[in-house]
Amino acid sequence: MTSYVKETFEFMKLALEQANDALANLEVPVGCVFVEDGEVIASGRNRTTETRNATRHAEMEAIDFLVQQWQKNGLSPLEVSERFSKCTLYVTCEPCIMCAAALSYLGIKEAYYGCANDKFGGCGSVLSLHTSNSNLPTSELASSKKGFKCTGGIMASEAVSLLRSFYEQGNPNGISLSP
Amino acid sequence: MENTESVLPQVCKIIHIPEKPSFLPHLQPTVNMFASVIEPKDANTLVRKLNKIAPLENLQHVKRVQRKSIDGGKPQLSLLLCMIVGNDGGDDCMPYEILELVKSYQLSTFITKVCKYAATSKEEWDEQCKLWPTSYHPPTYNISGITGFSEEESQSVFSFMRHTINLATSSIGQVVNAAVIVDPSTKQVIASACDQVISSASLANGVSKEGSCSNYLENLKASNLDQQTSLLDGSISEFKPITNNVACVHPWQWALRSSGCWHPLRHAAIVAIEYSAARDLQLFPDHKALSPLKRQKIEESGFHSNGHSYQSLRPYLCTGYDIYLAWEPCAMCAMALVHQRVRRIFFSSPNSIAGALGSVHRLQGERSLNHHYAVFRVVLPEEVFRNKVVDGKASGSG
Ligand SMILES: [Zn+2]
Ligand SMILES: [Zn+2]
Repeated sequence: MTSYVKETFEFMKLALEQANDALANLEVPVGCVFVEDGEVIASGRNRTTETRNATRHAEMEAIDFLVQQWQKNGLSPLEVSERFSKCTLYVTCEPCIMCAAALSYLGIKEAYYGCANDKFGGCGSVLSLHTSNSNLPTSELASSKKGFKCTGGIMASEAVSLLRSFYEQGNPNGISLSP
Repeated sequence: MENTESVLPQVCKIIHIPEKPSFLPHLQPTVNMFASVIEPKDANTLVRKLNKIAPLENLQHVKRVQRKSIDGGKPQLSLLLCMIVGNDGGDDCMPYEILELVKSYQLSTFITKVCKYAATSKEEWDEQCKLWPTSYHPPTYNISGITGFSEEESQSVFSFMRHTINLATSSIGQVVNAAVIVDPSTKQVIASACDQVISSASLANGVSKEGSCSNYLENLKASNLDQQTSLLDGSISEFKPITNNVACVHPWQWALRSSGCWHPLRHAAIVAIEYSAARDLQLFPDHKALSPLKRQKIEESGFHSNGHSYQSLRPYLCTGYDIYLAWEPCAMCAMALVHQRVRRIFFSSPNSIAGALGSVHRLQGERSLNHHYAVFRVVLPEEVFRNKVVDGKASGSG
């Protein structure tokens, strides 16, 4: 069993706080934080119900914040790419295929997640988009497709119990709706 | 400007892209398995035991027992034992429980090939059964189009695709990806967008045509003449020089773009989804959201959304809608379209670098996903791409 440094859990706790905030707002409780040089630079949580946009996952929320912020500060695309390459993501649930692809396009350094995502997971469960793809033409490889390190199982039970309470809270009368 | 070339007969086609790659019937992928001839009286017991200790998990279409008539019409039964895990095929690759069975029933094992995937046509099935019997269930899809399009439907598909390619070739000069979400029941465009990776104008809705046309012309003048020549002469597959700006084809190269207004992830499909969600909020501001549990039940049960009562309230996300894309979407966009519950995807050009609907990945074949759309490639004559650019160059209107 690998032992992780204390800060891994500290950052995951912050991601769980974000997930809790989602839960309080009737959103699927998944949250994340982006960390650069040991500092949280962005956080995000699911906002799919509020926006009626099922792509507004925690990761996307945080990424949009960062891109906007950096753009406002006048950073060029190359500079933004450099910043992302120093970022570590802590997210309570394994990034889905969409988010894993996005993280690969951005070229982040590393990701830690809580529980696995058996149905949609893009970091090993369904597809493995975090690994570098050697089948890619060299011109694509030359840019930034080098993959990112991904570690799961960090405070997974906390993440799962949040998801569980979400689905229980959505069913106040206890009526089974299964087909 | 008149097109002086003789016009080739137009070949328009809609090709369904199924959940698994299609193979020539005799070239289907196979797996090696242990089998054994058995005494007919032992058949029931052995099948029962084997289904417990070595179920045919990913081979549901494969039959456990093969029945053959040998000389004199005497039936001979053979039984599949288990998959071969190692590559030497020796008895030591067998799980312990199977070895026990082999011993106690004195089975003499042999190795046979079985087809890895269920047959999707009668022809495939016939070939499969030559190796080892399988079952065949003709497709009973409920997404319209998989079993063919009527002439009227086809014409509608072609015209929406032309519209999409117009967008893709006119928005910011060179070719980008374009996405058009359509309600097929009313033939109404719900939302449309182009890639905003380079120039993220963040318009409230739709694409500003006037503004983009001038950009288009400037870029066209500035662009390399050789590229234009190859564009005019080449077939769609030779469009390489001009796909540089198609976000779904080169999703890793955003950082090499010029600065200005940009966002690395604003691919056309993502933006179109955002517009359609904004439209929904605007049209139905007070609509009560589905309870999370109900949504979860819908997701978990994995059934398709046709004919369920919640649909009559208002379309849930993009349920029932089609999306047209000039290029096969990347994994990010293809998964976004799963999340947003799009019913059918039509794209024009395959994306061999990053395409997720058959080229690199095949999301429509990932059974674990909670929603499945049908995917079609729409083949239009290359003149559609070509004329677009010629017209723009000649007349100054994209
Ligand atoms: Zn996601
Ligand atoms: Zn894309």
